[in-house]
Amino acid sequence: MAKEKVSKSGFKIRKKPLGLRIWNARGYYLMFLPVLIFVLIFYYWPMLGVRFAFFDYKPVGVSKFVGFKNFDKMFNGIGAKNFWTSFTNTLVLSTVKLVITTLASVIVSVFIFEMGNMIVKKVLQTVIYLPHFMSWAVVASIFSLFLSPSATGMVNNMVFNGDTSKFIYFLADKSWWRPIFYLINLWKETGWGTIIFLATLSGINPELYEAADIDGATRMQKIRYVTIPALMNTIITVLILNLAKVMNMFESVFVLYNPNVYEQSDVISTYIYRQTFANALPNYGYSTAVGLFKSLVGCVLVLICNWLSKRTRGRGII
Amino acid sequence: MAKDMSAVAGRKRKFQLFDLVNYLVFIFLGLAILVPIWKVLVDSFNAVGVYQFRLWPNRFTVDGYRTIIETQALYRPFINSVVTTLLGTLLGLVLATLGGYVLVKTDVPGRGALAYFLLFTMIFSGGMIPEYLVMKKIGLVDSMWILVFKHGMNVYNLVLMKNFFEGIPESLYEAAEIDGCSPMGIFFKIVLPLSKAALASIGLMFAVTIWNDYSTVKIYIMNPNQVNFQYKLRNMVMDGDTPTTAYKVSQSTLFNAGIISAILPFMLLYPFLQKYFVQGVNIGAVKE
Repeated sequence: MAKEKVSKSGFKIRKKPLGLRIWNARGYYLMFLPVLIFVLIFYYWPMLGVRFAFFDYKPVGVSKFVGFKNFDKMFNGIGAKNFWTSFTNTLVLSTVKLVITTLASVIVSVFIFEMGNMIVKKVLQTVIYLPHFMSWAVVASIFSLFLSPSATGMVNNMVFNGDTSKFIYFLADKSWWRPIFYLINLWKETGWGTIIFLATLSGINPELYEAADIDGATRMQKIRYVTIPALMNTIITVLILNLAKVMNMFESVFVLYNPNVYEQSDVISTYIYRQTFANALPNYGYSTAVGLFKSLVGCVLVLICNWLSKRTRGRGII
Repeated sequence: MAKDMSAVAGRKRKFQLFDLVNYLVFIFLGLAILVPIWKVLVDSFNAVGVYQFRLWPNRFTVDGYRTIIETQALYRPFINSVVTTLLGTLLGLVLATLGGYVLVKTDVPGRGALAYFLLFTMIFSGGMIPEYLVMKKIGLVDSMWILVFKHGMNVYNLVLMKNFFEGIPESLYEAAEIDGCSPMGIFFKIVLPLSKAALASIGLMFAVTIWNDYSTVKIYIMNPNQVNFQYKLRNMVMDGDTPTTAYKVSQSTLFNAGIISAILPFMLLYPFLQKYFVQGVNIGAVKE
């Protein structure tokens, strides 16, 4: 195993034999051991459980192998419509949310960057990062009070001037749920999303703006031809990184949806949750099959994004 | 330098129409974020529920908070949240630093394999149900410790830690090794003292995740003594699970006080820690 390598200064370095190198690194392996154990228990052990997707799972007794029956039920069975609804909802809600929040973050970060008054700038940054630290449970509580169709719901009372007959139950209204969902996501994450763009903007060479000044460029022209192009790489990176995660949507929907709007809001994870934990006769085999499908689609997305990332910016995301 | 800066967008002395628009945008953004939060804060001190937006409560009361402090049913979840957040953050930092440190050591054979072993978990996962069955086997179902263990091992944060460690010059390690320092010695005497900022940033990420977790509790925990504060709060506001002692105070006051209590710990710390939060994002973003 001894390999010869030429060092920078031209001397030949003989690598020590592998056995000795492993022995010398024993301290490091020992340090890695806790990580190894945790990853095995919390990540790899559950992976073995995906075999239940091919079984008629029994909590007690022997589970029976049923081949692709669970998948057949998922794609073509009686409840297949609900599954497909949750699948398309996952894609639609995640991608629309991703695109509008990223766009909003870009626009807001340009405004922050253009702000000349440093104190005002710092104050606004502090304020718009704030909602990111609130849990989805809290955000859902705040907005359900804010939007509630009751005597204390601010939005309904202001919009309809206290006329209770016109009140809209925004979070249970089929046509309102999605726009409200996007708005709440914008409220929570736009500010936080600006951090990465502001970091990029602070790295722009000031000479570019000086050159633009000398050429007589206006403020808008400088934004259009210097600031925005400088952000393009970061925008693509953010989109790719998050595209890989679109299948993971769960908590934000889970705390905001309700039976009235399942058709507009149900995503795969919430569908799995209801099939299992809100079901008198949970079919673990079936839920596992849906979960496996979700994981596989997620896996393909990660690999596509990794490939895209390597092509566009020369390095992968994983 | 001063001359350079004046050329950068937005630093020009002359006040233009654009600046006016910019201030208007800032006011709009600030109000959009603050109005819902301020409304909750004012309503939590207001004895009667009103829909209007007010800058100050018209009938000031602290009964909402008093009820929360006196309600046993809320007490236990709050303590659970504090305990799991502290221990989970500690465990998370221990695992992230140990793992991240080993992954930057070039003289560890099989380092690449270990990295792939971790990264694979970011590509594929068992899913909600297999995870549930495993947690059931190891006795974490219906126990608040699941919050500590489930969040304690976070591959993404481990990679962030590794990215940070990569910035520590190799020569420091070499010098310590020549002086006969053991891997553990180097870790404690050199790596950790140099990583205080990263420890703060990544520790805060763990803390926020654990404190704010709702869905894990919803999925795994039935026992009312084991739930966390976020869970209890949401049940109170959205599902009408109001504490029985609450009748002295209006429902609106109590709900709003509950929301404020749930966000209070981080809101108080936030102005001081903002720097570390922002830094955490940039460790992930800027480094290769």
